[in-house]
Amino acid sequence: MTSIGTGYDLSASTYSPDGRIFQVEYAAKAVENSGTAIGLRVKGGVVLAVEKLVHSKLLVPGANRRIQTIDKHIGMATSGLLADGRHMANRGRDEAASYREVYNSPSPLKIIVDRLGLYAQAYTVYSSVRPFGLSTILGAVDKDGPQLYVIEPSGVFFGYRGAAVGKGRQLAKTELEKLQIGELTMRQAVKEAARIIYLVHEDAKEKEFELEMSWIGDETGGVHLPIPKELQQEAEAAAKASIEVFE
Amino acid sequence: MDHFPTNWGRPRNDLHDAYGTYPIHQHPQHAPKDAFADGVKRTQQPIVTGTSVLGVVYKDGVMLAADNLASYGSLARFKDVQRLHPVGNHTVLGVSGDMSDYQYIQKLLEELVIEEFTEQDGSILGPAELHEYLSQVMYARRSKINPLWNSLIVGGVKDGQRFLAYVDLLGTTYKAPTIATGYGAYIAQPLLRKAVEPYTDVLTEEQAQSILEECMRVLYYRDARSLDKFQIATITEEGIRISETRHLASSWSFAEGIRGYGAQTQ
Amino acid sequence: MFRNTYDSDNTVFSPQGRLHQVEYALEAVKQGSAAVGLRSKTHAVLLALKAWFARFIPRSTGELASYQQKMFRIDDHVGIAIAGLTSDARVLSNFMRQQAMGSKMVFNRPVPVNRLVSAIADKAQVKTQEYGRRPYGVGFLVIGTDQSGPRLYEFSPSGNSYEYFAMSIGARSQSAKTYLEKHYESFADCTLEQLITHGLHALRETLQQDKELNVNNTSIGILGPASVHEQSVPKGGAFRILEGDTIEPYLKTMVPKEDGPVTAPAAAAPPTEAPADDVEMSG
Repeated sequence: MTSIGTGYDLSASTYSPDGRIFQVEYAAKAVENSGTAIGLRVKGGVVLAVEKLVHSKLLVPGANRRIQTIDKHIGMATSGLLADGRHMANRGRDEAASYREVYNSPSPLKIIVDRLGLYAQAYTVYSSVRPFGLSTILGAVDKDGPQLYVIEPSGVFFGYRGAAVGKGRQLAKTELEKLQIGELTMRQAVKEAARIIYLVHEDAKEKEFELEMSWIGDETGGVHLPIPKELQQEAEAAAKASIEVFE
Repeated sequence: MDHFPTNWGRPRNDLHDAYGTYPIHQHPQHAPKDAFADGVKRTQQPIVTGTSVLGVVYKDGVMLAADNLASYGSLARFKDVQRLHPVGNHTVLGVSGDMSDYQYIQKLLEELVIEEFTEQDGSILGPAELHEYLSQVMYARRSKINPLWNSLIVGGVKDGQRFLAYVDLLGTTYKAPTIATGYGAYIAQPLLRKAVEPYTDVLTEEQAQSILEECMRVLYYRDARSLDKFQIATITEEGIRISETRHLASSWSFAEGIRGYGAQTQ
Repeated sequence: MFRNTYDSDNTVFSPQGRLHQVEYALEAVKQGSAAVGLRSKTHAVLLALKAWFARFIPRSTGELASYQQKMFRIDDHVGIAIAGLTSDARVLSNFMRQQAMGSKMVFNRPVPVNRLVSAIADKAQVKTQEYGRRPYGVGFLVIGTDQSGPRLYEFSPSGNSYEYFAMSIGARSQSAKTYLEKHYESFADCTLEQLITHGLHALRETLQQDKELNVNNTSIGILGPASVHEQSVPKGGAFRILEGDTIEPYLKTMVPKEDGPVTAPAAAAPPTEAPADDVEMSG
């Protein structure tokens, strides 16, 4: 059945007769219109990359970051409503801090994802709130090694070796599947991530964009940091070259 | 009179509620109670303590020294405690006083450093900001008559500025080119003033180190709560170095000749 | 009554994943008179068009009526210009001042500007997600200084904030934006006086046909060392707002527009037209 005009799609607390919650599906639509974000879980670490669409040339390049830091060892890339992304990140920081407060050690990513999943779910149950218009990729290196998860607007989450959300996720997933992700080093992963974002962007023929990347792992001493300038430039140059070959 | 024999010798029902008949919040044990009913007693003295910390400003930065002892009263309880705590890349905190309060302060600072790190905006808390923060914490706690029982020295270098300052359990603060806490304030402070203060812009790292070592030695001779194992933290524009534990050479042969107290009577 | 089924409150996503109430709040910003912000390597400046409350106060009582406040000082190193609901702006700027004082009290450091902007953006986000609230109806341009020099941010009711080289908000701000996009690459090396001239030129673009910038309808906010036209500037080039006769020298630096009517048109302007007043809560 269609959703529009039935009245069953006006609240997160309403099921449609066939058992769907349209408000959550609409929230997912907000993600589909937004720049692609990907994550790779590789040997010794995690790499995050975001296709940051540039809506004005007056924007300061490099500012306005879309990849955020949750704890020393946890990074987060979002696709969807930017402001919702900050809300989710703030909650993530609170959860990570509270885990440290209680256990005096850095939290496993699983715990944070679990709590954020519950948090997102709570916004799908009441008519007094709307769901998060957000797909969240979380990456970390914790006591069990590199981890990568995605949380959807519905609150469900899965662990991944390669993850993609946002507008270009289909193509990005296809590209990720071609890789031997487990065999990549972090540096190789950075180049692959850059290539995929460039490829996805090229495919959609969108307005200007900026590539934003970060990593956590052996290369950074287990801390979530932006990719160093030289490596970023190198990766972008290689990505641009590969697109031209592709054409 | 309770005529029901099984109740004899048991607490009265209105105090005990054997059958769980009261709603939880009306239960005698859960009833609201005046917080001051039993009087309030808070920290009156430290328990496990660290003794003096020394800090000096020298040509290229700031240097702190503290021994590795945590005493339980007069018992030398823990002999491998590091009392110099790095915070970020520009600041070291030297702590004397209660060691569990010190661990609590470490936790506060860890949280602060992570909050700052997650912003990822290049703004960094330097020694001056951390000292201000700790002063606010210490003063707020003393104003609640529940102090953190410590004397702290904050030392660091940021943006070419050397910084050395003190804050204690009362929230008292001051800045100086040399600072000593605890027993060191009596024994080492005059030595440091003489050896360091006129020369803060010319003292080399080696000179500053040997002055600190000499002061630690004097303290080891005279302070019964001190230890001959200590560490030195050096903060320069390049960053922080905290030394391995060093051993103080000392000679106690003179003790043979001391008369007038202890076991010897002659 | 409503324009569509999905725009009656802010907790409803449209089938396209849009939030209509938030988009309408962005329209409230466009109801307010324009503000322009730009920065060089040494200075950041704000310029704003002050609306006259002609809608509420007859022009005959002119001397008694006032131009509205478009700029607020947050701290020595931060200032804002607003467009939209002034009362919402007062609430938010009050919050920003508290944050600034908090940072001074706890760390004895000026609050980092980006965090200040993020803090109000986070407040605004909540008002796009929970029932029984409305999004803020005001947009800000925020200028500030931090360790790497002058900065300019835009805050909007959607809960987004961005850093720009130059930006404009409010009524007909697109015209100002076009000017800024054409010239922004030269701003970095401008002197303060040149920067303000650029700002005035951009602001002028937002005016209606028969209007001109004058000492009564223009505010200038400056962050950075003193201009040649300024006396007694606060230490360290702290934020200050120039109004009235003090802006005369800057207005004189403007180059007349080639196409626009530099001199007032012969026919008197129709007196009934409603200027771009900022929206009042009651109105």
